[in-house]
Amino acid sequence: MRSFIVLMNKEFIQMVRDFKIVWLPLVFILLGITQPVMTYYLPTILEALGSGQGITIDPSMTAQQGGEILAGTLGAQFDQLGIMIIAISLMGIIQTDKANGMLAFILTRPVAVRSYVGGKIASNYFFTGFSIAIGYFASYLYVNFLFSNVPVPDMLTALLFYLVWVLFIVSFTTMISTLINSPGLIALISIAFLIGCRVIVGLSSMIDIVNPASMSKHAMEVLITGSVNPNAIGNLAVTFLCVALAIFVTNYWISNKKFSNE
Amino acid sequence: MLSIKSLEKSFGKKILNGIQLDIKKGEILGFVGANGAGKTTTLNIITSILESDTGTVEINGLTKEDGLDYKKQFFFIPDTLDVFKNITGYDWILFLMKLYDREDIERLKEYINQFSMEEVISKPMGTYSFGMMHKVALIAAFTINPPIIIMDEPINGLDPNAVVIFKKSLKKYVAEGGTIFFSTHLLDVVEKICTTVAILKEGKIILHDEIKNVIGEYTLESIFMEKHI
Repeated sequence: MRSFIVLMNKEFIQMVRDFKIVWLPLVFILLGITQPVMTYYLPTILEALGSGQGITIDPSMTAQQGGEILAGTLGAQFDQLGIMIIAISLMGIIQTDKANGMLAFILTRPVAVRSYVGGKIASNYFFTGFSIAIGYFASYLYVNFLFSNVPVPDMLTALLFYLVWVLFIVSFTTMISTLINSPGLIALISIAFLIGCRVIVGLSSMIDIVNPASMSKHAMEVLITGSVNPNAIGNLAVTFLCVALAIFVTNYWISNKKFSNE
Repeated sequence: MLSIKSLEKSFGKKILNGIQLDIKKGEILGFVGANGAGKTTTLNIITSILESDTGTVEINGLTKEDGLDYKKQFFFIPDTLDVFKNITGYDWILFLMKLYDREDIERLKEYINQFSMEEVISKPMGTYSFGMMHKVALIAAFTINPPIIIMDEPINGLDPNAVVIFKKSLKKYVAEGGTIFFSTHLLDVVEKICTTVAILKEGKIILHDEIKNVIGEYTLESIFMEKHI
């Protein structure tokens, strides 16, 4: 437990020194405010650019509710650019340690592999989750200001559901970073798989139950309808199982593959 | 203290061929061999980076099966330390001290002073030269004060001043009850600071004895060359 905490602290120190503690929350704040601002000002922007010819904005169209806009932040911003940014920021989580000899160095210390993997995933999850939460709260503030109020319990429930999906994103990318040595390939596989998971949500109810990306859909549903989908609990359990599987594979691979140049 | 029995390892061809070695408490053992003789492989097996094909390694009666208790018996300094670029030397040593549960800040300050690293210890390790990285690793090792320090080519990159401090620190550490096991190409260093020498050739120990028994009218270099060719 002690080495787990020490390794987590070391990761946090490294994030501070790499300025990740500044740029990642900033990126998510920008992504978070993009959806409400763009949605609100799009007609004005189009008009100002003079390219509104041929576009008719139906005045009888139902005005978008705050919950729908906030759901759009999750579905359109965080689930696309957000996933890419997370995958790119995490692609070296284990791979860099393998490449520069840090992993071999750490494993010659009194550190259990599970503490090393746990410290990596926990610190990066806390920090990624924190960045996403900050961006989400920024979006929430703009939505409440520019559109209608979103009930706080709905907003928090949706965030919790979404953070479970983020936990899967972090553990999956960590697993790929362990299995593969090329940073570019790690990012490519992670982005393709995670966005693929998100794209197929809603195509089949059977696949949705075993798809961790459905947690994002459940989060959006809470914001739009104000109620929790009954399938969310089952999906939550499946997502935690997937996370456990990714952590197990990471742990097993590091424990059984020796990282030496010889 | 450290006991190696019948160690064998192959990477396609045989690298280690039945290594037997016993190191007693208080010894400074120089592990000498040509490139590719199997020195680093031996150190990597002792430190759990690699698994041997056959044979056993024991430190103070503990084997790798004893897990973290085994790893607490030694501090390993590899030949390359190209890691932790954004962390300061001080933070890095504190990090290691916490892993070993040995947080003696006074002792740390003493070694920082000894190695004249007061001014650079608070800078990121990415700004360090190769020799500075090694100095920081040595400070960590001597501060943590494990039963045995294992080093792969520890003198590489050290300036002459640091080599003198290194020798003094080794002797102090051994006087406090420590044991040293290091690989090197520098035979004069072995002659000057080691109590024991082991020469490795083609995966076998061909000589293992106290320095005083090995060198008399010959230098270690002449003995090494004769044994080696």
